[in-house]
Formats: sequence, structure tokens, C-alpha cells
Amino acid sequence: MQPRHSGASLLTQVEVKRSISVLTAADWLRLHKVARALCRDAAFAADDLLQEAFQRALDGTRQCTRTLDIVHFLAGVMRSIASDWRKARKRRPEICLVTETGSLQDVVLQVRDSAPVADEVLAVNEEAARLKAAIFALFVDDCLAQRLLEGIMDGLAGAQLRSLTGLSETEFASKRRLIRRRIDKAYSKDWTP
Amino acid sequence: MSQKNKGQSSRLDRLTDMLVEDILASSDADLLAEAAADNDDGGTLARRAFERASRTVAVRHIAQNESPPGRRLAPANVRTLDPKTARGWLEAYLASNPETAGQLPRALRRGKKLSDEDVYGMLEALQQRGVLTERPIEQSRR
Repeated sequence: MQPRHSGASLLTQVEVKRSISVLTAADWLRLHKVARALCRDAAFAADDLLQEAFQRALDGTRQCTRTLDIVHFLAGVMRSIASDWRKARKRRPEICLVTETGSLQDVVLQVRDSAPVADEVLAVNEEAARLKAAIFALFVDDCLAQRLLEGIMDGLAGAQLRSLTGLSETEFASKRRLIRRRIDKAYSKDWTP
Repeated sequence: MSQKNKGQSSRLDRLTDMLVEDILASSDADLLAEAAADNDDGGTLARRAFERASRTVAVRHIAQNESPPGRRLAPANVRTLDPKTARGWLEAYLASNPETAGQLPRALRRGKKLSDEDVYGMLEALQQRGVLTERPIEQSRR
């Protein structure tokens, strides 16, 4: 359950706007990189995702606590929007008018069942498998990176993930960065090579 | 969705999470050096997205203040409604049109919650049909 915040513990809309306005060059870049990472296999663009996150922050739809870093807050908002948009793309209800009589009361909607059909399941599965194989192919020369990728995809994190590779903390951070950089270069705009 | 399919997607989601974490944890100097090396103008694009968002929000505020209280036209973009208001509009429409509610998938009739995105999508469809041409807005906006 989310903790409840009183008004005083939340940034006002004016404060949010001011906080974003004074972001550093590195923070603007950071936000765009996060947006690009979240656009994996998605039918939306990083710029649109960012704009929507800014809008929700500026109009107060999403509220930021005073203790939270504004960049981390915006990254969270983007993550949530991307998740919603991706789900909506998968199961957007198809609505059509059945009886068009001009009368509001006679409007009947047909909503398609949101459960994916077999073809859709297969297509999503194939696309995910293709993308995963393509990512692993970026590291054919680096068994350690591949092992790390397997661990990440298996849900390992922190010390558990590090112990999988036997790397020191610094080496581990470097390897993680190498993975991000290589993926970033291969998929510079979104997750389409 | 099969377990296998869910697994493939969530494995990629975990990778995305790691990438985001790493971006957030990277130092400013590293990110700026990367951008210079890659000719990455993401910073400029992000700033432009913010400017567009600021303009959109400002225009909405002006439109909101120009309409008489309690009797405003439905916004051209129903997505400017806050999620609670949008859900309320949809529920009110479905309550007054039970035959429509009867067409919803069984899971939704049993109380499975529509996502915000679903609600906006359905309102947009109704709006396109001219059903939501005019309507008082009494709740807060998004």
C-alpha cells in the first residue's frame, strides 16, 4: 500500500515546474536516456513518453514528495505511463457502434474481449525471443556479460547477481555500464536496431 | 497469456529495469562524456518535450478559466480529465445505458477493473460518436 502524503510533504505544481526548469544538462540527458530505455518494443516514441510525464507532473496528476529526487520521480512516472501504454496496446478494447439511430440511448458498444488470441500470444512471444537473442548476440565476445545478462533476466540483483560473476563491486559496475552502453549504441533511438 | 510468453516479456522488463537503474546511477560526467562520444542530443530533445508539455498545460489552464464554473464543454481531448473524473463519466454513461454495459466482456462485468488507458480509450470512442459532445465538468482536472 502506498503511504499517504499530506499536502505539505508534496511539491506544489509551481515547485515542480521550477525544479524541472533548473535541471542540469546531465539530468536532461538522463531523462531522455531513461525514456529511450522504456520504449522497448513499443509503438510510442521517447519524446512522447517524456512529454506525457512532464505534463502529468506539471498539472498535478502525478505528485512528487519533497524527499524524492525530481529525476527519479519523473523516471517513475515514465515507467508507469510506459507500462499503461504497452498494456493498452496489447488489449485496447475495440469499440464499435452497433445500432446507429442518432439517439444517445440507442448507442450500443461492443467491446472486444481483452484476452489475447493465440496469434497475438505467438507474435508477442516470438518478438520477445527475437529481441532477447539479438541482445545476447551483442555480447558474443564477452561470456561474463552474457552470464550477467542471464542473471539480470532471471531476476537476480545486488550481491546475488555480483556473486554470479565473481566480480568486485567496481568491476561489476563497469561491466553493467558496458552492457548498457553497448545496448544503447545498438538501439540508439528505441529498441529497433 | 502463456507462462512462457509472460516469462519472455518479464525477462526483457527486468533488463529494462537494470538499464534504467544504471542510467540513474551514472555520474553526470559519464553521461555527458557518452553523449559527446555518441553525438547524442537527447538533452535538447528532453528540454523541448518539457517546453511542449508546459505550453499544453498552460493552454489547458486558460481554457479551464475561460469557461463558466459548473458548465463547461467536454474537452476536445478527454485525456485532459483526471482518471477519477474520466472513470466517473464512463460509469455514468454505462449506468444510463445498461444495454451497453451488457456488451462488456464478462470479466469486466464481474468487477475486473479497467485500466485508465482503457477508460480513456472508451471515452474517446464515445466522443467520436458524438455522445460526449457537451458535459459539465465539476471535478478537478488532470
